[in-house]
Amino acid sequence: MTVGARRCLALGDPPGRPYRRDNNLMPRTITAQNLQALIDALVGAGIRVVGPKRVDTLCLYAPLANGEELELNEQPRRSAKEAFFPPCEEILSFERQGANTSVRDPDLSRLPATVLIGLRPCDAAAPEILDAVFSWDYQDDFFLERRRKTTIVGIACTRADDACFCTAVGLAPDCRDGSDLFLIPLEGGGYAAEALTDKGAALLERHAELFTQAESAPRLPLAEPRAAELDLTKIKAWLDGHFESPFWREIAAHCIGCGACAFLCPACHCFDIVDEGSEAKGCRRKSWDACGFGKFTLHASAHNPRDAQANRYRNRIMHKFKYYHDKFGRTLCTGCGRCIRACPVGIDLAAVLEDINNNG
Amino acid sequence: MNQTAQKTESAPLVDETYYAAVTEAIRAEAARLLKEGAVAAVIGYVPGRRPGTALPAVVTTPERAAELIFSPACRNNLSLYLTKAKQDAVPKGKLAIVVKGCDLRALAGLLGESQIKRENLHIIGIACAGVFAANADQGLPLNETTIAKKCRECTVRLPAEVDFTAGALPKLPRLTPVEAEELARLEALTPAERWAFWKEQFSRCIRCLACRQVCPFCFCAQCLCDRNRPQAVENSVRPAGNLSWHIVRAMHLAGRCAGCAECERVCPMDIPLNLLNRKMAEELKERFDYEASLSPREKGPLTSYQEDDDESFIK
Repeated sequence: MTVGARRCLALGDPPGRPYRRDNNLMPRTITAQNLQALIDALVGAGIRVVGPKRVDTLCLYAPLANGEELELNEQPRRSAKEAFFPPCEEILSFERQGANTSVRDPDLSRLPATVLIGLRPCDAAAPEILDAVFSWDYQDDFFLERRRKTTIVGIACTRADDACFCTAVGLAPDCRDGSDLFLIPLEGGGYAAEALTDKGAALLERHAELFTQAESAPRLPLAEPRAAELDLTKIKAWLDGHFESPFWREIAAHCIGCGACAFLCPACHCFDIVDEGSEAKGCRRKSWDACGFGKFTLHASAHNPRDAQANRYRNRIMHKFKYYHDKFGRTLCTGCGRCIRACPVGIDLAAVLEDINNNG
Repeated sequence: MNQTAQKTESAPLVDETYYAAVTEAIRAEAARLLKEGAVAAVIGYVPGRRPGTALPAVVTTPERAAELIFSPACRNNLSLYLTKAKQDAVPKGKLAIVVKGCDLRALAGLLGESQIKRENLHIIGIACAGVFAANADQGLPLNETTIAKKCRECTVRLPAEVDFTAGALPKLPRLTPVEAEELARLEALTPAERWAFWKEQFSRCIRCLACRQVCPFCFCAQCLCDRNRPQAVENSVRPAGNLSWHIVRAMHLAGRCAGCAECERVCPMDIPLNLLNRKMAEELKERFDYEASLSPREKGPLTSYQEDDDESFIK
């Protein structure tokens, strides 16, 4: 398999990247100890650092209190999208006083500058894919302001499991897409560090004393996902012609309609807006939503255009591998494998794509 | 890698011939039923793409019966597919269903709540050695480390009153309870400590509702928690809404929950939901001498009214 092939990009160039890239910066090295020191220094300087952290039995992206909390050996159960698109956020609040109602917007300038660290390529690439949808006809300041204020430190992936399939969707264990600074694990515990954007360079320069010039040890072997190679153009062509197909029932009639796949996905971005509170005082909240939910497309008339669960699952595939591509020229999947690991009824997205690829 | 279970040298609890025998028996029975036209479909398990995994399948032809398997990865409680909430997943008519002992308790509950009719079912019971825990490495055999907590305390390995039993129960070592100990540990905490524990657990909840969707008893056409005019439970992923949701879930299942622990298995945030279910079951046992069993009963203590019911709690 050609690791690093960019088939998704070959289908059409992505929309404008938000940051200028400068690949001429010298590679540096940082020891594991100094990586922790970097986090300590950032936290000490009042910068919010978010990274994979152990929480009970699992690993989640969470604000780090110090460098020791950084857990790089396990893929966080939830993706890094929540750093830009939280599970729930208030988008306005209202209060009635006598005959007047006052409406207040949240003060987005108060969102903190953040360093988001320890993202494997499947997580690091996703926010950039989502820029397209959050800045298309409407500028979603909630998402975009966080994007502007966040520096992403990605890390090359050295361990894949049998659910990983980044290579099948055009990414790779050393894909730099979306990273401002990129770390490559070295033998003995250090990391080669590459600044890829102005933000990454600034971070590196501000803490230059923690980095050395040359690479001190060989690079660790990259992960090798065992996913089958997919022809995304062929898959899209099949999807173009098979909105109606018995295939959907075959693979997804047993889907139970939960939101686990969508909520863990780094690229799923649907949300619901609800007013909560009372008529006198309350707020409007934006929360994650999932096309697998039976009520996702339920109309007020009681009509539901996606009336069967298989049709809802079809939408998940269509959105990721056809609609998003039609609209933005990109695939809405980074092959992180979370949906596969989490599906309560064993629906395997990689197997579904393989099926279409081989038999479509 | 997500697997948190440690690779272990722990010995397999049963040998491979056991699974081969159970699988063979299921296939033969399913093929016979489908060939004779005795059932419209067999609800069972088939292997997944990833080695060691399995998923639910609705098999409608004798040829496909050869794909059916039983392995430690066959964790789903398939009785879910008999409920009205999942009716578009199965054909109409008589259905055969593969069940483990723990799943059979759910079937009994659904029969009791008039959701299914016994004469429309052909029950293929598994002589069950146990299944994998939620985060177990499914590449390993079933052993002391990979087995589900519920299986460590199982009392229904050999389901009775089924139409067909697949396999014979192998000799199994006694396993020490884990969940009972965890519950006892929680019971020993002060209310404030217990509150802190659950607050922390629920803070991870993302309201994906996998716990609800996988539950055989969450078959309501209109879940209270989906209502928005007026809103009964806050839908947003926030502490108040999360807490309300989990309390409503636990209370609505009290006296109905069959203990299959599927809600806990499928929780992507590893919230130990079965501790709540189990605590409710203990309360029901203590206060009403009632427990979910293998025989269908029409009404549980929280859904029936008698004139001499204790009302002293109404102040």
